[in-house]
Amino acid sequence: MRRLFNMPPQVLRIFLLAVGIVSIYSIARYILTPSSFREYGWYRGAALTELQQRDPVFAGRKACEECHSDEELKLAKHEHKTLSCEGCHGPGQAHVNDPKKENIEKSSFAACVRCHEANPSRPKWHKQIVIKEHYTGSKCTECHVPHSPTEVP
Amino acid sequence: MSNTVSRRSVLGKIGATLAGVLALPVARTAKAAVQKVLVSTGAAKGYDPTKHKWVMAIDANRCIGCGLCAEACKKENHVPEGPYFRTWVERYVITKPEPGSGAARGETLVDCPEGGMHGFPPISVPKDEVQHSFFVPKLCNLCQHSPCVQVCPVGATFDAPDGAVLIDPKYCIGCGFCIQACPYGCRFLSPITKTAEKCTLCYHRITRGLKPACVEVCPTQARVFGDLKNPVPDDPIQHFYQNNRVQALKPHLGTEPRVFYAGIDKEVR
Amino acid sequence: MTNAVTNVVLELAPHFEGYVYPNEATQQPLWSVLIVLYPYITGLVAGAFIMASLVRVFNVKALEPVYRMSLLTAFAFLLCAPLPLLFHLGHPERCYEVMMTPHLTSPMAIFGFVYAWYLMAVLLLELWFDYREDFVKWSESTPGFKGILYRLFTVGVTDISEPAVKLDHRIGHILSVVGIPSAFLLHGYVGFIFGSVKANPWWGNVLMPIIFIMSAMVSGIALCVFNYMVLSWIRRKTVDMKCLDVMCMFLFYALVIDAAIEGLDWIHRIYSAEEGFQVMQYMAREKLFYTLSLGQVACGTLVPLLMLGLLQLIRKRVPELARRRMYFASAALIMVGVLAMRWNVVIGGQLFSKSLRGVMSYKMEFAGLEGWFMGAVLLSLPFIILTVFIKLFLAEKPPGGQVAGGSR
Repeated sequence: MRRLFNMPPQVLRIFLLAVGIVSIYSIARYILTPSSFREYGWYRGAALTELQQRDPVFAGRKACEECHSDEELKLAKHEHKTLSCEGCHGPGQAHVNDPKKENIEKSSFAACVRCHEANPSRPKWHKQIVIKEHYTGSKCTECHVPHSPTEVP
Repeated sequence: MSNTVSRRSVLGKIGATLAGVLALPVARTAKAAVQKVLVSTGAAKGYDPTKHKWVMAIDANRCIGCGLCAEACKKENHVPEGPYFRTWVERYVITKPEPGSGAARGETLVDCPEGGMHGFPPISVPKDEVQHSFFVPKLCNLCQHSPCVQVCPVGATFDAPDGAVLIDPKYCIGCGFCIQACPYGCRFLSPITKTAEKCTLCYHRITRGLKPACVEVCPTQARVFGDLKNPVPDDPIQHFYQNNRVQALKPHLGTEPRVFYAGIDKEVR
Repeated sequence: MTNAVTNVVLELAPHFEGYVYPNEATQQPLWSVLIVLYPYITGLVAGAFIMASLVRVFNVKALEPVYRMSLLTAFAFLLCAPLPLLFHLGHPERCYEVMMTPHLTSPMAIFGFVYAWYLMAVLLLELWFDYREDFVKWSESTPGFKGILYRLFTVGVTDISEPAVKLDHRIGHILSVVGIPSAFLLHGYVGFIFGSVKANPWWGNVLMPIIFIMSAMVSGIALCVFNYMVLSWIRRKTVDMKCLDVMCMFLFYALVIDAAIEGLDWIHRIYSAEEGFQVMQYMAREKLFYTLSLGQVACGTLVPLLMLGLLQLIRKRVPELARRRMYFASAALIMVGVLAMRWNVVIGGQLFSKSLRGVMSYKMEFAGLEGWFMGAVLLSLPFIILTVFIKLFLAEKPPGGQVAGGSR
């Protein structure tokens, strides 16, 4: 009896089935692997560009300085010069895109207290006060100018 | 009988394989069509990741625990509400030892209320029982031998050529292995996207010349950020490396973190 | 704990003590009951297969009556194995990625290939070569839908001459030999998934894959004992006591090795008392008391060891009925104990913080994808599938009047 490849039929069938399965797998792998895969490593290279494309929520200090250069000048002379505007005024990109008063926060008592409340965990060089002993009101700006902290209003 | 059965089935199978080979151009078109449906290929590139090496460093001597960084990160990256943090601030309180106990130190108390996002409540022990207390901001340690990248089964998280460790949200299957593998607890599974998420060094900001949101708002420059391949004049990151003795977290695990910490203590994990 | 704990009560997560990283303060651990079930099910598969290979490879003739049942058990459970994984993924529709772009540094990436290899190249082929002769005979003598099914399973090959059947047996033998390391790989890689996580001191140690493999063998053999006794009881047939005695002898010695290795893990941990030991000990005592001390150790290991060990020593003096009851009880306890072991490894590893300063709690929900109910469904599904297989392939009175799993 002539048998193809001299294999008994049950073995041959299984062998061909195996070849079929491996071929289907190889074809599927070719089709389903994203095209930018392995561009830089074992990942989709396109992911790098996609991750770059989110919109910022915070604008960054340079963006504030473009319009508010006088505040910038005031700050430059004093202790708060390294602060970010958005630390006290909240995220600013919405305001940069559409410069209205409603799109940015006016700072508040809470913002001052957040950094300046005395706390044994805070380093000693940082200016901090026990709020209750220092001032009982709710507006630090009565005595302090946030953009030039050593100035008296 | 079995001859003809064998021959027919075998010829049929050979024919099918030939057809498959000849269909290669068809396969290529099919692949392109499938790609469009499954995963987009993104826009053109203007930024070359191989020309930068971003790194962050933490100067814990300067952290005042205001939590502006944690809050800014949540807002900038639309992190879900709840116990999900890309960066956070821990407070360590080391108490004085019991008098007469012969110990060098008392207990170590660590807390992190809501990631430190809204600052910290007063310490639970009286001030005069505190030997040391300090804050430690934490984030992805940008490991050189990232265990998280090593264990991803599909290649959805990776070390980008410019130093950031990123996650491809369109490819991640949400198995959670990377979250288990990170020794620093910096990853989480987003309940919204059902993929892993972590600090990306604000990749969308640094690639267009901005600083990460946490670095931007930090009032005391406790977070130091820079590009090691393109130092600027008076580069804060170069100053940091020049002027500080530093530590890395969990060095015994061999992850080789690139984020160095100045001013932390043996109790910090 | 030497580092005392401040009970920080967060509005969102009041269920931990001490300090945990903020990302760890979730209501449920990341890998929950579904990930407990997956190693359990693949372990049963590997163990049942090893049981079957004892017959073919090591020529333990006494186990011949359970050969086909063990293979069918392994097959039924293997079919259900990917389900917990699929349900657990955040994006199950992307599951194909694991086979299209497997990241070769990840132990999890091997899943698709090992599973496909074991299912197709080992289990299905071995079953087919064993049943081929019967399929041909049954397809000729069974009417209706079943007959068509049997004919389908012959894959068109109808040669059952003596040399062909002899070839079938030889191939089956080769497949059994290949199957043993494949079974170890199928379950060993799962142990390695946990063993490779150096970030977690509960998981990341070198004994983990070995512990998984040994407990898999124990649970698989116990499952075969259980299934054999239940099947015999349903069919009102007498159990082959010689077969049962030999099965339980293997069960006993596998349990001895498993208990020894797990004990070694514990002794080493306690002796070397590395950094995370304090928090892990606290977690094991407080959070895992029921599943570890009671479930895994006392009920799942010590009691069966005593019962089975006793029976090894004084088997001849114990009457048959009592022996059968003790075997059944041991098998059932072991199966529960190994499930508890999987729970202790998977959940236990997530109940303490990587900061090594805190412990979390886990309250299982009832409904939902990761709840009690789903767990019960996923555990009963393989038994339902096995029932169908037994009706098709292990019938009491198969067509043609031959005894299924018959004498060779």
